[in-house]
Amino acid sequence: MRTGAVPTMSPNMTRRRFIAIAATATLLPGAAAAQPRRFEWQGGALGAEAKIVLYHPDKAAAEAAIKACLGEISRLENEFSLYRAGSALNRLNAAGQLTAPSHDMRRLLQLCRQYCDLSQGAFDPSIQPLWQLYAEHFVNHPDDLAGPSPDAIRAVQQHIDYRRIAIGAEAIHLEPGMALTLNGIAQGYITDRVADLLRARGWSDVLLNLGEIRALPGRPWSVALPGRVATLDLTNAAVATSAGAGSPFAAGEGPHHLLHPVTGRSARHYAAVSVLARTAAAADALSTALYLSPPERAAELLRRGGGKQAWLRDTNGTGRHLVV
Amino acid sequence: MIFSMIFSKARSTIDARALHLALILALISPLILFAGPSWAKQGERIGPETLAQVFPGADRAGSLAGKPLAASVFKGGARIGYIFSTQDVVGSVGFSGKPIDIMVGITNKGLITGALLRSHNEPILVIGIPDQALRDFVAGFAGVDIHQPGQVRQVANRLGALPDAISGATISSSVIADSVVRAARTVARSRGLLAAVQAKVRLDRETYEPADWQELRADGSIAHLILNHGNIEQAYRDRVAIPGAEFPGDQAPEELYSELYTALITPPRVGQNLLGPQAFNRLLRDMSPKDQAIFIAGNGIYSYKGTRYRRSGLFDRIQIVQGDKIIRLVKKHYHFVESVKIATAPSLRETGVFVLPADTGFNPLAEWRLELLVSRETKQGGLVHLDFPLSYVLPARYRLGGDVKTAAQTDNQMDRVLFYLQQQLTQGEPALWLRNWRDRVGRIATLLGLLAILSAILVFQDNLVQRQRLYRSVRLVYLTVTLVWIGWYAGAQLSVINVLTFVQSLLSGFRWEFFLLDPLIFILWGYVAVTLLFWGRGVFCGWLCPFGALQELLNEGARLLRIPQITVPFALHERLWPIKHIIFLGLFAVSLHSTIMAIAGSEVEPFKTAISMHFVRHWPFVAYVGGLLFLGLFIERFFCRYLCPLGAALAIPARLRMFEWLKRRFQCGRECRLCAVNCTVQAIHPDGSINPNECIHCLACQANFYDNGKCPPLVSRRKRQEERAAKQAAYVERAS
Repeated sequence: MRTGAVPTMSPNMTRRRFIAIAATATLLPGAAAAQPRRFEWQGGALGAEAKIVLYHPDKAAAEAAIKACLGEISRLENEFSLYRAGSALNRLNAAGQLTAPSHDMRRLLQLCRQYCDLSQGAFDPSIQPLWQLYAEHFVNHPDDLAGPSPDAIRAVQQHIDYRRIAIGAEAIHLEPGMALTLNGIAQGYITDRVADLLRARGWSDVLLNLGEIRALPGRPWSVALPGRVATLDLTNAAVATSAGAGSPFAAGEGPHHLLHPVTGRSARHYAAVSVLARTAAAADALSTALYLSPPERAAELLRRGGGKQAWLRDTNGTGRHLVV
Repeated sequence: MIFSMIFSKARSTIDARALHLALILALISPLILFAGPSWAKQGERIGPETLAQVFPGADRAGSLAGKPLAASVFKGGARIGYIFSTQDVVGSVGFSGKPIDIMVGITNKGLITGALLRSHNEPILVIGIPDQALRDFVAGFAGVDIHQPGQVRQVANRLGALPDAISGATISSSVIADSVVRAARTVARSRGLLAAVQAKVRLDRETYEPADWQELRADGSIAHLILNHGNIEQAYRDRVAIPGAEFPGDQAPEELYSELYTALITPPRVGQNLLGPQAFNRLLRDMSPKDQAIFIAGNGIYSYKGTRYRRSGLFDRIQIVQGDKIIRLVKKHYHFVESVKIATAPSLRETGVFVLPADTGFNPLAEWRLELLVSRETKQGGLVHLDFPLSYVLPARYRLGGDVKTAAQTDNQMDRVLFYLQQQLTQGEPALWLRNWRDRVGRIATLLGLLAILSAILVFQDNLVQRQRLYRSVRLVYLTVTLVWIGWYAGAQLSVINVLTFVQSLLSGFRWEFFLLDPLIFILWGYVAVTLLFWGRGVFCGWLCPFGALQELLNEGARLLRIPQITVPFALHERLWPIKHIIFLGLFAVSLHSTIMAIAGSEVEPFKTAISMHFVRHWPFVAYVGGLLFLGLFIERFFCRYLCPLGAALAIPARLRMFEWLKRRFQCGRECRLCAVNCTVQAIHPDGSINPNECIHCLACQANFYDNGKCPPLVSRRKRQEERAAKQAAYVERAS
């Protein structure tokens, strides 16, 4: 089954991973008379391609579950998406404040803060003004691979500091000039919420790929990571990858979207970082944070951030595998 | 206090008969009250005067019949509509909390033809508003179309047009508006007049029937979430990957952290039961017809309301999620709930009702969830929040129209109760039964006190029965307490269902928790088990069964009123005994096949109707109990003697009893059958032996045993003594 539509290309879309997913479709032996069938939904979420795969004997049940998932995705896109006019995040960025924020907005911003602290500011949702500067630069000067001028970067950097996001129960405030992006973590968060929703309804044997990949308990799913031949058996865990290549800014060796808030430049330690963690939000935030942090801090960051494994691939093709 | 008063008076020389009568009246008055008018008025004819006012232009009307009660109205031989009473259909009550009765006519097309106020107890008359104003207002419903919600709204607007006439009575009038329209829609739907509306699924905002908390929980009308410290810690470990973010627990994992109940209360079956008719009507008055109201209650150390809302107006710990909508609850949505009026509710630390205006887009028919936000500080500082959802799926019975209507409305309470129990168990909450015990410490103590008193009565039975008047008073008072406190108040009526489920659990894996859920029932069963081994089944049947007490007290009254008593010939009596054993064996056999069927079959017990549900049930159940009680006026404890499957079940292990404390004389059955005649349940054989299968241990025969004014051997012995004394006296006289 295929419902929904692939969204129009958005700036953040092609940074997305080149990950092939295949389910090991080993049916449970001795299952009930009705054999589970595989149902798939493909569409878009948060400006990325999305896919839900689930096994169930009953088509109506599968459709109902997917409908509930889509409601949840849409609800959270109304919160976190930069691509939806009138989303809570856009309103916050426009007005500098958001009154009566949802639980989800508070939860996600507090979670961001944890990873900001853990990564000593390498991961920072208030990087949005810098990202906008780069985006404008490459719109106006597509061939200027040097990127924005140091003065321009310095000018926007004064607005980057996650500690100046005031997260209150009744309102969230930003200082003038600040703006947030949750693209480094919202996909993971949404994936987790959808996973929680399905689990509460009693589902297992589900694979979610809403930009980040998460498998519910049950059958193992084989997931291929970029740059690795062997696939990974994923069950009751999540995996996320951050890769600089294929950024919307420029092809080849030019700047990409994974910008470091302190240097104001694209991070250059790795070609790609994949993280396996219990939750998709953790995998998502850690893959971004690891990508931006110096390699010598990787192991500690992974451990303290709750990651389980990380695959760090250098630009020259050599790789490192960390296991906590 | 009343009991002790009765007790002391009964001992004094004041005519005890008048007292007994008062006692009986006090006991049966709830029956009259609870029976309600709905079956009393069945068959009532609509008089021509009423017809002319309520349905102008009609020729004649039939009598009130059907469900809900309504009378067909005819013109030229064709049925053109219905007349009904709001009191019958929706049990309308006014601001005073007392019934309001309005006769209303509707055409086949759903137009109200007229309305007539028949009786009311509204306080407006007291404060000087003319009765006529209210009657005029009611008459003004003529012409309202019940299909149109807009029209419904117009009714309410019209109230505002009459402020001079009924100022100070706006609550009464909006209650009237609501009950007229609700009743009209109920009748129209039941008679198939709302075909156009039926096609579309909508929320049932009309049907009211009594239900207690347990029933609403069991059928999904009230949803429940329980979180203890262990759950929170586990959730932080599972759902937040950051190490050290889990709950820094110095509390025991099984300690309650937070507990939530929520329900959509716009359907009257939920709202009116939960809040009571007055508060519910007040709430409806404050809402627009398109608004929805939900109830949220909580327990535990983590309050769902918190305190910040008092300053900020935002309830920052809860949000409602439905589909892709998030609804934040703010102060203006909030309605204070003084108290929950529903029976069998647990203690609730905080309660509130939230009215969701139509512009929130909340759809009462679709699934929604209440999310509780919990915050924890992590080791490295900063907060990590987690949401705990409580899902609410509207039970099918509140959906009208579509194809789910009739199937969903069938009354299958027992299924739901069983489901509820299973849920309670599968939730794996070790603390649940414990909490029930903690919550009911007062009741447990009272019950233990009562059982201690009963034990004393049994141990000192010889001393007690020698004091006739004291024995009679003690017995009457004890039975009254059994009926009123154990039965009606505490709801601790043992039932054959307990026996069947016990056997089932032995077959399918016994679990203490299942039986510990209800502390009073558990204690009673424990006590019954012990007394069964000591004295037989009579201790329960004769002293602790509320329905048995009800029968005996009613029969006591019947005797005072000189209603003739029927003595069943022993040969017949003996042959009727096995009926109850057959019923029990039948139920037992059925229970091996299906517990649910057995539980439905155990409706042969009138206990649920008469005791647990205080007679507030569909009329066939009430009629059945009424019939049994009526028979009981002539044949004491008719039900116990011949029909009670619980009594039959208890009689089986009672064979093992160890004590024979009921004293007999050599002459019993040979020379005298006085006790056999006086025995409450005719358990004494003509040969003088007491049949322990039937005996209810009421001690009446023991009172006879010691009564030297009644018991023939004692009487003759006394006479011999007197004669001897007289002779002696005469001899002494002569000698002197």
